[in-house]
Amino acid sequence: MHPILKDRRTLALYLLAWLAPGLTLATLMATTAKAPWGGAICFSLPAMIVYAFMSLSSWYVCRAFPLPGTDLAKTLSSLFFAALLSSALWLLACYAWASALEWMQPGLAPRERYMDSLPLLASFGVGLFLIAAAVHYLIESLESARRTERNALELQVLARDAELKALRAQIDPHFLFNSLNSISALTSTDAAAARTMTLMLADFLRMSMNFGGLEMIRLEQEIALVRHFLEIEKVRFGNRLVVQTEIGAGTLSARVPPLLLQPLVENAVNHGIAQIPDGGHLLLRTESDGGSLRILIRNPVDPGRTKPRGRGMGLTIVRRRIERLYGSGGNLDVQETGGNFVAVLTIPHQV
Amino acid sequence: MRVIIVDDEDLARGIVREYLASHLDIRIVGECSNGFDAVKAITESKPDLLFLDIQMPKLNGFEVLDLLDPRPRVIFVTAYDSYAIKAFEVNAIDYLLKPFSRERFEKALLRVAGKEGDEPQDAVDNLIRSNRSLNAPIERILVRDGSRVHVIPSPMVDHIEAQDDYVSIHSGGKKYLKLERLSDLEAALDPKRFVRIHRSHIVNIERLVRLETYAKDSRIVVLNDGTKLPVSRPGYEKLKGLL
Repeated sequence: MHPILKDRRTLALYLLAWLAPGLTLATLMATTAKAPWGGAICFSLPAMIVYAFMSLSSWYVCRAFPLPGTDLAKTLSSLFFAALLSSALWLLACYAWASALEWMQPGLAPRERYMDSLPLLASFGVGLFLIAAAVHYLIESLESARRTERNALELQVLARDAELKALRAQIDPHFLFNSLNSISALTSTDAAAARTMTLMLADFLRMSMNFGGLEMIRLEQEIALVRHFLEIEKVRFGNRLVVQTEIGAGTLSARVPPLLLQPLVENAVNHGIAQIPDGGHLLLRTESDGGSLRILIRNPVDPGRTKPRGRGMGLTIVRRRIERLYGSGGNLDVQETGGNFVAVLTIPHQV
Repeated sequence: MRVIIVDDEDLARGIVREYLASHLDIRIVGECSNGFDAVKAITESKPDLLFLDIQMPKLNGFEVLDLLDPRPRVIFVTAYDSYAIKAFEVNAIDYLLKPFSRERFEKALLRVAGKEGDEPQDAVDNLIRSNRSLNAPIERILVRDGSRVHVIPSPMVDHIEAQDDYVSIHSGGKKYLKLERLSDLEAALDPKRFVRIHRSHIVNIERLVRLETYAKDSRIVVLNDGTKLPVSRPGYEKLKGLL
């Protein structure tokens, strides 16, 4: 769409701007060609309005010869040729208009004056077309700058969305394959348990996938997901894993970003319980003072453990997500005290 | 054939046990659920074959192997450990991915049974070495004393001395002997804390009290427990750079 024609305000401004050359032309005709003022104005203003519309065509020249990237000589010669052509067409239109005026008001004799002003009109035609082209180039460059900026912003938003989706949808392959191995082992010794485990794993995967596509879920849903995860891990770890949950009043209905708790619980199992031969207690506690929601996860750690390799991304991801979502309103605090690892997640309590 | 199964998950050991049940020539002499127990059981009952999980409490599978001498043949088992899998591939070592079928299990068993002599040991050596370099700088030194494993956290090490094929690690007034080259240990330790001051000495610089010079190339360091250690010329240059 033509940038000037696409909204009325721009078009009105554009036409208003053409008043200036219109009046100049009338003045010149009145002074140099000795035309009567009334006749000069009656002739030049409508002629200018017509040429204003004709000059809009310079935009197509701008489009065909964008400034960076095209040969300058070619651009200039094309512009000049277009200016000559439109100016010639305009002169014809002017002649017709002058004849019409003479027929309507013979006293003003504009056709004669018009013939006198021919060189003046021709130079106006070429000059104004070129100015119009320059204005169009300016508009085009402003538009393209804005387009680039908008595209960059859009890309940023898309990248962020994609990143968040990828971060949310991560299911620990170690967990998945170990669970499948447990099912494989159970099939021959305890078929019913194998089935239960399969169903729990299916539920867990379904929930993770569903939640991954949502912006917010209720804490109750996240806790259900975490409980499934822990039930599955209990089959793997047997009595090494003991889970204790303390759910604070009013916290279950709070709205939380999905899969935020899950990686913390996963960490507690992988880096905590799984590294201790006898295992230990995992505590999950939620509480709220109405303003902020606090979720605590505590697990024992082996003091002599070494850094886990290739993992430990969980905390970083959770941190980045709450930073993106809540800015300084959210916080993840982790510390190791007395053989326990404690992670405390604090986010605004939203209902 | 005598076999030990090492895995921290009950069910995971169960499936190996189940698959082995039809092999009348194979006897399971032990099952272990962590690295320490594994080293103890393997040292004591000297099995011919090991089913070894990689991710375990206390010691991972590679660390267990690192402590064994001699080493039994091994079938590695892992659920998902991209690093370990890459290491297996690089060294052309067979491994089982959980969950595995009976057919796949039999294939691995057949392959190991067919390998006599020390041929695969080189590959396992490489595996252990790459695990060591991955963990560098090491946070702890593992020493086997008979069937027991001592874990010495690196900051607790005072100094280390080369003794023939062994290194003697001094920590808190105790001495631990480990079959390892001093240069390997030097490479694995944190260079900001541990300095090779002499052909046969590495010192923890936080134990250093003073440096005494007797002649141009005759210097010693004194540690906070009174131990005196010789300093070579290159050792002195390194110390100067750090202090």
